[in-house]
Amino acid sequence: MSTAAVNQKLWEQNATPKHRIQWCPGCGDFGVLNALKAALARLELMPHDVLLVGGIGCSGQIRNYLNGNAFHGTHGGALAYALGAKMANPALTVIALAGDGDTLAIGIENFVHVCRRDPAVTLLIMNNGVYGLTKGQKSPTHGLGMPQGVSTEEDPPFVDPLRLALVCGASFVAQTFSGDPKHSADVLVEALRHPGFAVINDFSPCVTYNKFNTYDWYKEHVEHLPKDHDPADMQAAWRLLDEFDRKGKLPLGVVYRHPRQRTAHQRLPLWDEELADVDPEPMLRLFR
Amino acid sequence: MVVNNLKLLVGGVQLRDGVTTVTDILGKMFVRAGLHVLAMEKGYASTIYGAHQYDPMVVSATPPLSYGDDRSDILVALEFDTNPDAPIQPNRDTILRHGKNLVDGGVLLYDSTTGTVDTGDLERRGVKVFPLPARQIALRELKREVVKNTVVTGALLRLLEFDMDLALFRQYLEERFGRKGKDIVELNLEAARRGRAVIEEVLRTNGWHDVGYRLVPQPTTGRAVLLNGNDALSMGAILAGCRFYAGYPITPASAILEFMEAHLPRYGGRALQGQNERESIRAAIGAALAGVRSAVGSSGPGISLKVEEFGVAGVTETPVVIIDTQRAGPSTGMPTKPEQGDLAMAVFAGHGEIPRIVLAAGTIEECYTLAFEAFDLADKYQCPVFLLSDLTLADGRRDVPEEFFLKNRRPVVRHGLLREADLRQDGYRRYQITESGISPRNVPGVPGGIFKSSGSEHDEQGMITTDPPKRKAMVEKRMRKMQTYLKEDAKPPLVFGTPDGAVLLVGWGSTRLPLLDAQARLRAEGLETCVVHFTHLWPFPTHLVRPLLQRGKDIIVVEQNYAGQLADLIQQECLLPTRRILKYNGRPFYTSDITGGVRQLLTNGTRVVRVGDRAPAVVLETVPEGD
Ligand SMILES: Cc1ncc(C[n+]2csc(CCOP(=O)(O)OP(=O)(O)O)c2C)c(N)n1
Ligand code: SF4
Repeated sequence: MSTAAVNQKLWEQNATPKHRIQWCPGCGDFGVLNALKAALARLELMPHDVLLVGGIGCSGQIRNYLNGNAFHGTHGGALAYALGAKMANPALTVIALAGDGDTLAIGIENFVHVCRRDPAVTLLIMNNGVYGLTKGQKSPTHGLGMPQGVSTEEDPPFVDPLRLALVCGASFVAQTFSGDPKHSADVLVEALRHPGFAVINDFSPCVTYNKFNTYDWYKEHVEHLPKDHDPADMQAAWRLLDEFDRKGKLPLGVVYRHPRQRTAHQRLPLWDEELADVDPEPMLRLFR
Repeated sequence: MVVNNLKLLVGGVQLRDGVTTVTDILGKMFVRAGLHVLAMEKGYASTIYGAHQYDPMVVSATPPLSYGDDRSDILVALEFDTNPDAPIQPNRDTILRHGKNLVDGGVLLYDSTTGTVDTGDLERRGVKVFPLPARQIALRELKREVVKNTVVTGALLRLLEFDMDLALFRQYLEERFGRKGKDIVELNLEAARRGRAVIEEVLRTNGWHDVGYRLVPQPTTGRAVLLNGNDALSMGAILAGCRFYAGYPITPASAILEFMEAHLPRYGGRALQGQNERESIRAAIGAALAGVRSAVGSSGPGISLKVEEFGVAGVTETPVVIIDTQRAGPSTGMPTKPEQGDLAMAVFAGHGEIPRIVLAAGTIEECYTLAFEAFDLADKYQCPVFLLSDLTLADGRRDVPEEFFLKNRRPVVRHGLLREADLRQDGYRRYQITESGISPRNVPGVPGGIFKSSGSEHDEQGMITTDPPKRKAMVEKRMRKMQTYLKEDAKPPLVFGTPDGAVLLVGWGSTRLPLLDAQARLRAEGLETCVVHFTHLWPFPTHLVRPLLQRGKDIIVVEQNYAGQLADLIQQECLLPTRRILKYNGRPFYTSDITGGVRQLLTNGTRVVRVGDRAPAVVLETVPEGD
């Protein structure tokens, strides 16, 4: 057995047993789960060093389907909890796993600003174009690939998470497809190695409520990035998105990666002994 | 001649006239000289520039309890006319607003840069008037407008016959500006001397010997500081081990965020200015989840926006301290005016039910001591702990001996955080069902423990479940914490006086000192009262409170809100009838409000008195008691 295989096992302990996973058979999120386990195993991360912050939605359930520390709070909150945890303990590998509704509707306030803040957190958007858990209402990414009528207040055009992330200053922007878990795992590995905020838009078909963006539809519409694309070139990233749009294709791969290297913060003092013997003098001096 | 006892009010245009520069310097000098200072109502506006600002201050030989009423002995008006021909003279704003509350025979000092003001009315009441062209002196004679406030300071020191040789003032300046250079010290001293000279001149031309008030240094037992509740709370939080603080700017809580941003890094911590209220509390929860003592601070509207996260902290059993420096609501209400309107929110807000602890500071000192308690309780009970302050405390300043802070400091003890060695045994359960309701707590990153946590209902392992017996057991486990708290940590209200057969004056928050002041004054009038003041409000310590309140004759709850939120809690928990003195006009409680209210309640048998200007003094309850 290779080390990677052993590790993959490690990621299946402490998790909700396979037979109790509550996704519909065929849900794209299974592919995401496999890719995530593969990436974590490949990076040889230990489950106790990883914090998985889930969103609220079918997608967010993923955090309990593999080993590792896991937390989820409110709808739209994943990124902000992740930010606080990462600020407190930069040694943790912090991954936010949330749906498109969670990230781009109710959680967009957090999304926009976490892109700007650029913490070393990875966000995997499990994008299915609908609100799965609440039974199929339109999410902000709804309408991908459908003929665009005249947009109305009720039915505005869909949000493109890649463009939004770029505009908001995300330093790593990538796209993948859960029907191609090998590619997803490769992208995740890169994202987890990135020293800043990494956004991955992972197309993860909802077989129950999104009858348009099916596996077959995606297979027809996704296309890997050209080999010569330079992800460090922001202008090239924008050009690329436009070109793919024109072709009617969805790019798979790392669209943009800021070349910056950053030094991580220190872990915040936590244990009694780290908090002892604090000198109040500099504070008292202010009030004399 | 009144020695070491006076009430001073400095007023002017916000941001332009440097009202608090003057009161801050004076206050600190008085404290250095062993006098006691209380400045509990910082009147300011939520518009930035041009609004009226005032800062009343009591200076006395013994620690003052409250401003008493809204009368002042000395009024300082820092405004000057930008346009002397304007029909309404702006330099009269302070005089118009506060002149009527100046005592007969008091003192008025005002900036006369653009001419003198007609003060005939005041003079007829024996007020001694001192026109001082402070700005003109600063600008024309000293070529530095900034020293206008020092001119005023010098004048006031002379008026009060305090620090006549400016020795204390020199010492203060040298400590403050010594590093910036001798020139600044000398310039300020010169400005103070010029202010002093103007006063000498006015005294001489009027043939006055003095103004009737004098301050004399007193021996001190040790150094004291002059600070407000936000300062004390921030300092307490840092010493209590808080290393992550998040906030979104809001009056009057912003000052805590600013303090934390300035000081936390020195102690290895970090402060985060969230991009909105929800990011702030979520980040604080994230940091707490990672094991750090973490707090989020805000005021009314910001707390409302965080309500969804109260449940997250409660159900995931994440210890987070939520600071609410209350201000007048609802909605944006009056951002710079005090009220105690958020008690019900702290106790009840949120969907579903969670364990929570609510503490409220009653004094500046308690903002410090309760900060330690809040973080300890959060750690121990793994639930949100609310620490309520209010605008009066948050901004009000008072001298506190430095000794107090050193003596009341406690070592940080992280209750029950598991370490690697504790996690060796198999089958760690984050939400283990225990008798106390408290489960062993692991933080992510410690080998041997995997932390599965969820805002959805979960089993002992943290895995989501809706299984009825598991749900029931988990709800009960969480709520049992409150029983444990009531047994081990709940504190009865503070009691001042003997409750037996007495009229009980019950309060919480910043009403403490006015209540004690009222108690003293009522005693002088022959009415013995007992002050009962709450710091630990939820879970309500019924077993400690009910027997206590029953011993009194009449329970009069004094609160700064319309409904009487504490009174309602008492009625709900103790099944005892309460009477109420309520104030909600945006001014803090004055002693006179309380003494007047008590007299009205006791003489005409009403149940509710609503005090404060223009509010009806007495509201007869339309619903008859009983049937
Ligand atoms: C404040 C709040 N509003 C609404 C909901 C209901 N809700 C649960 S999941 C969800 C949307 C999930 O959609 P998405 O994030 O796209 O994830 P998916 O289920 O499609 O994976 C909503 C609206 C909630 N839990 N909390
Ligand atoms: S509803 Fe859609 S997203 Fe949810 S589990 Fe089923 S297929 Fe997956």
